Amino acid sequence: MRMGGGSGRPTGGRAGAAGRDGKAGPRKKFFVRRRKVCKFCAEKIEYIDWKDIKMLQGFIPERGKILPRRISGTCALHQRKLQTAIKRARSIALLPYATD
Amino acid sequence: MRLYDIVVLVTPDLNDEDAAKVAAEYKKILTDGGATVTKEEPWGKRRLAFPILRKREAHYHYWQVESAPAAVAEAERRMGLSDQVLRHLAVRVDEDLKRGVKMAERIRIKAAKRPPRPAPAVAPGEGAPQAAPERSES
Repeated sequence: MRMGGGSGRPTGGRAGAAGRDGKAGPRKKFFVRRRKVCKFCAEKIEYIDWKDIKMLQGFIPERGKILPRRISGTCALHQRKLQTAIKRARSIALLPYATD
Repeated sequence: MRLYDIVVLVTPDLNDEDAAKVAAEYKKILTDGGATVTKEEPWGKRRLAFPILRKREAHYHYWQVESAPAAVAEAERRMGLSDQVLRHLAVRVDEDLKRGVKMAERIRIKAAKRPPRPAPAVAPGEGAPQAAPERSES
């Protein structure tokens, strides 16, 4: 059973891959994505100020949640500092906890 | 002595002058406790991001203070007791500021050591044609 399943899958995959290759080959540039860079590393911001609401708002989407690292591209260290900065700003109502 | 950022939110029911007076009381507690005010910024009446005690605005008063921890603790305690203070926040900043400067220094040294990068535009251009024939073989 396994063999059958195994052999069945690659052929299907191959046919699909071949079809895709024909299209994807010339259009490769379509997939090129700009590399995300940590804003704080790039601009050499030494201290993430919790009073700088304009800057923090860039990391807060509509809903009021903190923008995840995988989307903003912030490095782990700066994301941690950003997180505390946003939470401090929230505690004195500079930023929302949640908005509908 | 440590450096603190202190923010007080005073009720919007008071007018600007009275709110400033309330805020000044706490500043006095700090200065009496041996603190020196290094920065003082009244941010004025601001909209709150969410209502606090049914209020949608507040008078924000900000100071940066060099103080002993005891004075700040006392000021915070009094702020908590007051009905005219909606929220308050005191954060120690000297350590983080120092760490930031140190880190910037380290990054600069690292960048100086690193050999100059080859032009990045060449690498992806070479990679693409190599990948394409491999797929067509299989």
